[in-house]
Amino acid sequence: MVDPARGALALQTVALRKHFGGVQAVNGVNLAVPAGDLRAIIGPNGAGKTTLFNLITGDLPHDSGQIYVRGEEVSGLAPQDLCRRGLGRTFQVTSIFRRLTALENVQTALLTHHRRHYDILRPARRLYRDAAMSLLERVGLAGQAGKPSGILSHGDQRRLELAIALASEPHLLMLDEPTAGMASAERHEVMALVAGIARESALTIVFTEHDMDVVFAVAQRITVLHQGAVIAEGAPLEVRANAEVQRVYLGHEKPGLR
Amino acid sequence: MDRRTVAGGIAFAAALVLPLVLPTFFIVLLIEIAVVALFATAFNLLMGFGGMVSFGHAAYFALGAYAAALLAKKAGWPMLAALGAAPVVAALGALLFGFFIVRLTQTYFAMLSLAFGQIVYTIIFKWTGLTGGDNGLLNVWPPEALRTPAAYYYFTLAVVGTSLLALHAIVNSPFGYALKAIRENPRRARFIGVNVRRHQLYAFVLSGFFSGVAGGVFAFHNGSVFPDFAFFNKSFEPLVVVLLGGVQSFYGPLAGSLGFKLLEWLISKWAPIYWPLFLGAVIIAVILLLPQGFVGLLERRTWWTRPAAR
Repeated sequence: MVDPARGALALQTVALRKHFGGVQAVNGVNLAVPAGDLRAIIGPNGAGKTTLFNLITGDLPHDSGQIYVRGEEVSGLAPQDLCRRGLGRTFQVTSIFRRLTALENVQTALLTHHRRHYDILRPARRLYRDAAMSLLERVGLAGQAGKPSGILSHGDQRRLELAIALASEPHLLMLDEPTAGMASAERHEVMALVAGIARESALTIVFTEHDMDVVFAVAQRITVLHQGAVIAEGAPLEVRANAEVQRVYLGHEKPGLR
Repeated sequence: MDRRTVAGGIAFAAALVLPLVLPTFFIVLLIEIAVVALFATAFNLLMGFGGMVSFGHAAYFALGAYAAALLAKKAGWPMLAALGAAPVVAALGALLFGFFIVRLTQTYFAMLSLAFGQIVYTIIFKWTGLTGGDNGLLNVWPPEALRTPAAYYYFTLAVVGTSLLALHAIVNSPFGYALKAIRENPRRARFIGVNVRRHQLYAFVLSGFFSGVAGGVFAFHNGSVFPDFAFFNKSFEPLVVVLLGGVQSFYGPLAGSLGFKLLEWLISKWAPIYWPLFLGAVIIAVILLLPQGFVGLLERRTWWTRPAAR
């Protein structure tokens, strides 16, 4: 059921809650991400960023509240069904098919996206090969196509995961710390790549990130989580100036938020 | 022509010519090697390509064997019709049991598959009226034209060869790619849109189907079927064969079945009671020295040229 009032939002959560034992990991989060947004979700460790991600992507069941993707309620849908509705994601810990080549990783995602994965008769080697190559090119991995993805460098594996997610032609891409474990220069490079892809493909992107330089450089809007709740939301400058953010998120006076 | 095509051509030519020069005993041995090779390759579709280790695959071999034998003997079907129905019965069994088994992973997957295997064994063993119980079903013979070992050998070669080609196509199809993706990372596979359980169930059914082909062919070769076909000892046969031959390669089970049956023959000839001891020693040696199995010897990367661990 698509509610027209919600149709312009790529993603919306309403009073979303999840607790683990006595801990309210996500405590009534209302999130409204318009189509085309490049939204950062930040917050100190344990703020509930990854849990919120896992609730939205169907990895974890939530206790209460609703989740809408393009106005359609998706609560309780399995990950593969969310993928079919245009929600792509990457993980905080790189999640790829390690013993397959980089090319096969992307090809498999394309085959599945085009619903060819129950075909047992045709050889898959040449199917969607060109499309897979151009996705690899887009993330800067064309030269690594034939290598088993498990031997690629950490940064290249992150890029590959991005290409895998893009293969499903999502309209909403959820990136959980896409630059985790990268050196500073590479972080900026990868986020510039993400921002470029978002612009070209009219994608909505929601990402979490620890590096504040990166966040303020690319995010259009920022949502700040603290103890499972949203404490601030706005354009980077507004969030930077927010007194409560400075107090609870930074713990003391503004290191990082220069 | 690449090396693999040449090797395949030589193997096929040898398979065609060998019965003309070999004594009957070895022709029979070759039939058994072919049957085990198909059974183990079907098993390896799950283990090597799907990352699912079944401890009860004898059930589907036995369902194929008993379906063929019962239809031929009790329903009076001609051999080809009985053989055609055998894998369908095995696949239906795999669909029924697999529906529950693929809900579990790892050790629990293995244990539930073992449990269903033992259920099939018990039913066959106890349902004396239908299956003959412990006495099995005797005199399950092919038509006159296929009664000589050489004739049945060529028939087996055709059926097993066709089945292996089909399995090879499955492994390299889009279905096979998604299956390997599940093996590597089920969570990621879900997020590219794969329905993991359904895919695993289809793989389970395909594996059961080809195990049933092996069982049916073996029934007419053996001339009789017994409850032992479903016993868990039989379930470990493809596991051992795959470990010997190499789990990573499509050709591993082929090399493994050749090595396994030849070793069994050699050792049983000289010291039958020590066969399990020798087999154990060989398995340990292969696992330690050739983790890629026998086919690891053919790959460029063997134990003496293997680069230092990453």
